[in-house]
Amino acid sequence: MNITSEHRGAIPADVEAPSVLDPDAWVDRYSDYLFRYAFSRLREANAAEEVVQETFLSGIRYYEQYSGRGTERSWLLGILKRKIIDFVRRRNKHAGVAPYENETDLTAQLFDETGNWKGGGIGMAAEPGKQVEMSELWGVVRGCLGTLPSGQADVFTLSVIEEMDSADICEELGISSSNFWVRMHRARLGLAACVDQKWEVEQR
Amino acid sequence: MTDARKASELVSKSLREELSPEESAELSQYMVCEETQKFAAASKLIQQSVVVGAKSIVDGDDSELPALSVDAKQRMRDSLNAASQEKLRLSQAGLLRSATVTGSRTTPQETKSGRAVTSRFQVIRPLAEGGLGNVWLVRDEKMNRTVAMKELNRQGLESPKAWERFQREAEITGMLEHPNIIPIYQFGEDRQSAEPFYTMRFVGKKTLSDAILEYHDLVAAGEEGPLGLHRLLSVFSDVCQAIAYAHSRGVVHRDLKPENIALDSFGQVIVLDWGLAKVLEEGELFHKLSSGAGLSESSMTKTMQGDIVGTPLYMSPEQAAGDLDGINERTDIYGLGAILFAILTGNAPHAQSLGDSADLSQAVRSISQKETPRVRDENPAVPSELDKICAKAMARKQHMRFTSVSAFAEAIEKWMAGQSDMNARYEAMRAEGRDLCGQLNAFVGALERNVRFMSRLPPINQLMHAKTDEETATWRERLATIFEGLLDANADYGSVFYRSVTDGTSRELVRVERHSRESNRIRIVPRSRLMESPTNPMVNFIMQQKPGDVVTTLIQMADDENNTDCVRDCMLAGVPVFDDATEDAFGLVLIECDANSILRHQLSGQIVCSEIVIVSGSRVIMRKIGDRFDEDSIGMNVSSLAPFHDATAWLESHTEYIDTTDAQVYGRRIQLNASQSNLLILLRT
Repeated sequence: MNITSEHRGAIPADVEAPSVLDPDAWVDRYSDYLFRYAFSRLREANAAEEVVQETFLSGIRYYEQYSGRGTERSWLLGILKRKIIDFVRRRNKHAGVAPYENETDLTAQLFDETGNWKGGGIGMAAEPGKQVEMSELWGVVRGCLGTLPSGQADVFTLSVIEEMDSADICEELGISSSNFWVRMHRARLGLAACVDQKWEVEQR
Repeated sequence: MTDARKASELVSKSLREELSPEESAELSQYMVCEETQKFAAASKLIQQSVVVGAKSIVDGDDSELPALSVDAKQRMRDSLNAASQEKLRLSQAGLLRSATVTGSRTTPQETKSGRAVTSRFQVIRPLAEGGLGNVWLVRDEKMNRTVAMKELNRQGLESPKAWERFQREAEITGMLEHPNIIPIYQFGEDRQSAEPFYTMRFVGKKTLSDAILEYHDLVAAGEEGPLGLHRLLSVFSDVCQAIAYAHSRGVVHRDLKPENIALDSFGQVIVLDWGLAKVLEEGELFHKLSSGAGLSESSMTKTMQGDIVGTPLYMSPEQAAGDLDGINERTDIYGLGAILFAILTGNAPHAQSLGDSADLSQAVRSISQKETPRVRDENPAVPSELDKICAKAMARKQHMRFTSVSAFAEAIEKWMAGQSDMNARYEAMRAEGRDLCGQLNAFVGALERNVRFMSRLPPINQLMHAKTDEETATWRERLATIFEGLLDANADYGSVFYRSVTDGTSRELVRVERHSRESNRIRIVPRSRLMESPTNPMVNFIMQQKPGDVVTTLIQMADDENNTDCVRDCMLAGVPVFDDATEDAFGLVLIECDANSILRHQLSGQIVCSEIVIVSGSRVIMRKIGDRFDEDSIGMNVSSLAPFHDATAWLESHTEYIDTTDAQVYGRRIQLNASQSNLLILLRT
């Protein structure tokens, strides 16, 4: 007889009644926290609400698998991270983002016709000795991320904020490594230019 | 790429510390450019702020970010409450699905590896629980179909013998390739736990046990006839085929019971659960089994203990007595007999004597010691032939049972075929009875039309008003000629009369009759021989009718008024005659027929049934047995004919009798119009 090795899927050894769940408490305790986290990654309130809701639903569905190690919040955060990546992948897929989007604008803004720096495009850090308030700057950066094309902002977010490995990001979003670096580069240029402008306004 | 752009890319990469030594060297060259330095510095600051910001979010300190609106939170509560309730409901119904969790993996790396493990089978719901194993309904993702999966339960997993037996069961079942035996798709081990499992066709949850229960419920409610039994016996015949095949390969099932016979929605019969099967040493499979052939019978029986979860009532006496050496093909013949017993009575053998006793050992002791119960003791309505077949299969002594499953199946099939023949014969007889009834009705209809027509002939009124003898003679002659023609055209008509009725006296005006012995001689009775008599109730009844209303009845008439012993049955149809001028009833026209002659004529072609009896009131007026007309029975009371008791009683208030129990007798009642007289037609196969 042909004996094969297959994964049977998760067959519960005992089908037990789930612990009594208290969804109201979850919403009260964790919804703002998870929402802010999601919002910082996705930059859209509706999208953030959607992934938080999906997170809670998954939490209820798979509650038996919460091992009890770590807090309930960090367990839910783990689910949320996965949901965010799934959302970003869907968004990128449906947006049909061109790999070199916005290149013309940015090139014109920062480089001259010969490809050299125009000068004056980026200058905020040029003031020696000036202490920069990081939390303030973070506010500006967050605003600027919202102005970037989502294909770039998402790659930047996953890489810098979420600290995902570049190879993993490429796999999740289905993009090549060179495409990843081009997007990252565009995002940094765009952010530098944008932050420079806004920072000056704020500092005045 | 220009130097500046290349430089900015390298800066960007450097912030992730992913520069190769060559790229680092290249970048330091570019860093002499002031703009590149600015870009690098700005990017670094931005990155630092992002790291700080991200940390504050994780710590929950970033209050500058927006929070969820009150509405959004309420929406979330509602949807989570619904999900929570649904989960509780599924859990209580035992339908809780399980699935791999991806969300619980907290790092991207873990997520990736977790997702790489894909399950081929997704559990849908539990199907059955056995002593050592459970059966699940699962979805085979690879083949995109729903299958049943059997695995060992916790108790089974702890027993090495159970593992061995589990594999043995899968192997034996897998080697039995027959349309009525459950097909095994795959035997395997779980990649992670190495626990064995096998998948097989999902055949639904309906078993022969359910079908038997359903059939007997319907019978009790009077909604099921012989067809239901026929269907169950067909299923039984399929089971026999499967077992005969298994025997041919040296495998004895030895756990045959209705619960182990699945019936799918397309009528397919599948024998399940070969877990206790014995592989006979002389059989061809014995040496093919890679496992467990050496599993000793005693270790088999040990692991069997857990499997008697249902009833032991189908167990053979040798099994109940623990005679392991005595287990062979005839053990299955007993098991099949026990299934037949359940089909015929609605109960497992011994179920009635043991009652609801849950004591397993008592049941087993009783089976090994007591006489095998007889089907007819529990259900006397079972045909005796089936009772005998069942008793033979379930004989206590093995050598008294059928020698093979095929011989057993043949006996059942033969009975079913005989039953079909009988049903076919009965149907033919019913058709014959209906035809006969139709013919007699047609005869009566024609008789009534004829008598009505005769009463409207012009000579009837002319004769009534004839003033001279000459006129009377003329109209008599004309009417007699017409009457003569009527008798000539209808061989079954005996005579036609035209009578006047006045002051309690009935006088024949014209009478044409057939010669009593030479039936083709018709004579006009001379005036001098015409009779005059006091009116009788029959005449009075006809005279009370309205114009055109015909009275038809069957009466006994004496040929010779002086000899009332010699009577014959006559069918009479009479209609009143009215005076056109005064519109008063003047007399009547009558046609009289010899019932015996009519019936002989109508019955001459009957061939299917063995006996036909025609009854008027309760008096037999005609009986035909085979091809012979039984004159001696004429005049008998029908109550002396026992086979027709049920039918005659039924026909007192119904027009048709169908024998649903034995398919032996068929009966019809013909109501003759405007009279109390009935004609019963009774047929017997």
